[in-house]
Amino acid sequence: MTQWETRRKRLEDEMQAHIDLETQENIEAGMSPLEAREAAMRRFGNAASAGDQSREEWGGLWPERLWQDVRFALRSFRRDAGFTVVALLSLMLGIGASIALFSVVYGVLIAPYPYARPNQIWAPAVLGPRDAVRGWHWYSQREMEEIQKLPAFADVMATSVRPVLLTGGINPENFYGVFLTGGAFNFLEVKPLIGRTLQPFDIGPGGEPAPVVVLSYGFWQRFFSGDPHAIGRTITLDDVPHTIVGVMPPRFGWWTNEAFWLPLRTDLKDTSGIAVIMRLVPGVTQHAAEQQLNQLNIRLAAERPDDYPKGQLRTVMLNYMDITTASGEMADSLHLLLAAVGLLLLIACVNVANLQLARTTGRAREIAMRLAIGAGRGRLVRQLLTESVLLSVAGGILGVLFAVGATRLIVVLIPPDYVPNEARITINGWVLLFSVGVSMLTGILFGLAPALRSSRPDLVGTLKDGGGGATGSMRGRAMRSWLVVAEISLSVILLAGASLAVRGFVQVLRVDPGFQPEKVMRIDVTLAPKRYPTWQQRNVLDRNLLESIVNLPGVQAASLGNGGLPWSGWRSSFSIDGQPRIEDRKIKISLISGRYPQTLGIPLKHGREFTEAEMESGMRIALINESAARLWPAGEDPVGRSMQIDDLGRPMENPLVLAAPGIAAGVTVVGVIGDTKNDGLAEAPVPAVYLPYTVYAPPDRELAVQTAGDPLAIVNAVRLKARELDKDLAVGKPNTLDEVMGEETQQPRFNMALFSSFAALGLALAAIGIYSVISYNVTQRVQEIGVRMALGARRADILKLILLMVGRLAALGLAIGLAGSFLVERLVRFQMFAKTSFGVMPLATIVLVLAGVAVLAAWLPAVRAGNLDPVTALRHEA
Amino acid sequence: MTTGELDSQLELLQGTLDLLILQTLAFGAAHGHAIARIIQQRSDEVLQVGHGSLYPALQRLLKRGLIVAEDGVSENNRKARFYRLTAKGRKKLTAETSKWERFSSAIARLLAPLPDQNS
Repeated sequence: MTQWETRRKRLEDEMQAHIDLETQENIEAGMSPLEAREAAMRRFGNAASAGDQSREEWGGLWPERLWQDVRFALRSFRRDAGFTVVALLSLMLGIGASIALFSVVYGVLIAPYPYARPNQIWAPAVLGPRDAVRGWHWYSQREMEEIQKLPAFADVMATSVRPVLLTGGINPENFYGVFLTGGAFNFLEVKPLIGRTLQPFDIGPGGEPAPVVVLSYGFWQRFFSGDPHAIGRTITLDDVPHTIVGVMPPRFGWWTNEAFWLPLRTDLKDTSGIAVIMRLVPGVTQHAAEQQLNQLNIRLAAERPDDYPKGQLRTVMLNYMDITTASGEMADSLHLLLAAVGLLLLIACVNVANLQLARTTGRAREIAMRLAIGAGRGRLVRQLLTESVLLSVAGGILGVLFAVGATRLIVVLIPPDYVPNEARITINGWVLLFSVGVSMLTGILFGLAPALRSSRPDLVGTLKDGGGGATGSMRGRAMRSWLVVAEISLSVILLAGASLAVRGFVQVLRVDPGFQPEKVMRIDVTLAPKRYPTWQQRNVLDRNLLESIVNLPGVQAASLGNGGLPWSGWRSSFSIDGQPRIEDRKIKISLISGRYPQTLGIPLKHGREFTEAEMESGMRIALINESAARLWPAGEDPVGRSMQIDDLGRPMENPLVLAAPGIAAGVTVVGVIGDTKNDGLAEAPVPAVYLPYTVYAPPDRELAVQTAGDPLAIVNAVRLKARELDKDLAVGKPNTLDEVMGEETQQPRFNMALFSSFAALGLALAAIGIYSVISYNVTQRVQEIGVRMALGARRADILKLILLMVGRLAALGLAIGLAGSFLVERLVRFQMFAKTSFGVMPLATIVLVLAGVAVLAAWLPAVRAGNLDPVTALRHEA
Repeated sequence: MTTGELDSQLELLQGTLDLLILQTLAFGAAHGHAIARIIQQRSDEVLQVGHGSLYPALQRLLKRGLIVAEDGVSENNRKARFYRLTAKGRKKLTAETSKWERFSSAIARLLAPLPDQNS
């Protein structure tokens, strides 16, 4: 026996002794033993309640109470198996979907990085007076040195990316190598998987980088199969053997997760841009840092006006957490989806509240009985709350299981380019904490109202009553009706949101890109710059390569250049001869070869294409797209006119890119080709100018190959041709334009898939909820129906009665839901579905579907009620 | 068992039971039944104590350390729990009693018959 039980026993004995003593006294006063005992017990009052209250005084009673309540709850759940299953199912779906989405939000938005204190990493943006923040500012190395001297910054690091050619293996391959300043790894504070990270001593006193490299996990797996002895071996990068000093863990993805990190050469004369990020000295505010940096920027802008915006400068420090690849579109859709999943959870809660309410109303008599024999109100509320919380915790556990599956599904759907390399989406401690919170909250949320309501009943009325006949709680019914209305309107909002997502997706799919992506493959080719030091040598190689590929069997057309394929190319300021110059106006530039329009299936609208001879000389001619043609006044023919492309007139900064002899800004338009969606599928075409690829000879070229069959089938032939020409010619990873286009639709597809599944779940939950509540209502009114039928009502009248009741609720719910949807659409319009709005058809469908669900939910119980034998109905006791 | 007229019986005010128990125990240790008896008799059967309600109050006083319980033998040679006032309880009793007296005399003054108005 525990101490607790001993104590309890002693109290009971004591009270029993009390009653015995009183009985004895009564007998002595002359009563019969039976009378004496009764009088004593009357005088003592409710012994059980007194014992209960006494133990309450001891405190620490809650484990006993809780255990009692839990056992009681389990018993009553077993009794109402149907209720329990429906409630658990609702909770599982609602809580599970919330957990799954929260784990995505946590992995992608809340804790996407493995770096130390990522919320304390800042990146500067330098803006003109009217600019919006677009990206961060690229400084030069000398400028970074100045930034390091500012007192606001505790630590500064810089990153720079450029193509690095890996040779010495089977196939030469081009990688985007990430170059870091010496202290970068210490700045990020991530430990290597094996070996060491790059350190300040890897950059010599003269600024020369040591030939060492730290590999990404992906590279290590791919080329060394995860061999730990890779440390100390060498790989040849840009013709220089580099010693492998370390391998980073899989989650480290600083600017790459498939290449490697190299020390950045310190060269204060190098003006190419590096991405500078910093940590602040503790105690320095973001504002103070911005002030200091802005002062510096103003001075630097005076020295290099071309690289800074015009007018008064503003400097904004961007927190690294806000500039992940997930910010923008992905963050918007995740926030919206979180809202959607919140609605879903709300529907689930309403559902369970509804069921609970119906159930407690059905249990009104039991509860009244318990109150009558002395149960305290607080105790009763606690009992009912225990039931709800128990239910929601069980639902939460099922929800976690559901979430494990759902999260996997979302991870498959999630567009990889919209999520940071480093993000890991798993169900972790925080997510579990969140789920426990959500479960408890839902339990209290849906349990409290029914619990409070049922603990304040009209005792006498309920006990007399058959348990919910005609006088059955009108208030309960009103509340349940409101819950049905709420459920219908929440589902309308969810479904309407889903319809927006679907429309957004379909719109993107239906867009005519202006070119034919089918059967076109895109592949990058990189030559070793040192082996081709002149413009002529590179052009010969490019021409030979293109020729040998065009002659491959199965190839219908091929072109070579830079830009011009979705979605590449760069922009330059320009002016049109004979027109005043307009500031801030840019045109998109692509370098193409002669058969570019055929390869991509872009129609020639006017004028002519480039000739072979023109191509080879890098002549100053251009094709433009229709948008660019509209830059000339209507009626004026741009063909034969000239324009100035400012970038062509500037000296090339990058020493690896060789310009054609005699290159100049002025070019003459020879033809106009069709518009393409050259700024993304969702955007309008922008003016573009196409130049012969020979105007520049960079080491990298993009090949586009249109084939008769599967474009990827000729990849090997292309590789062989490349190797025939030069064994060190690097051929990159091929992809088809269909794939590239597919990436554009990933985000809309993700939105559509998740919104639709949440909406489907919501609809299912609402349907279950509406059905169970309405059928419960009808059951509660069986007696009333019996009376009506006894008085001569026909089956049709009963059906009408019930359908009318449901119809009113459904109509109200639909109206509120539609109003809410339009409100939501207003809010959402600024975010992701900028170009989408409701269609009449989807909304009508939603209304019909939900109305159908409600009518169906009413129909079965109504028919059942109509078939009732009036006598049975009258005798009916719930 | 005889009781007074129903009307002349009074329900106990909240919290007064504790004070009555302490007062009862001021004359020496007593068991539960005796306490109930004494309260009833000393109030001339005016104050009605549901005997059962005594026990939560006793547990409350025990917990606050105002009384202690010890096992003993009752007048009819039965085992019984005897309650005894502690020093703390005695102090509490004095304080509470004077509070009560001030309170009741104030109420009495307030409720004293007014000089005739409408007689």
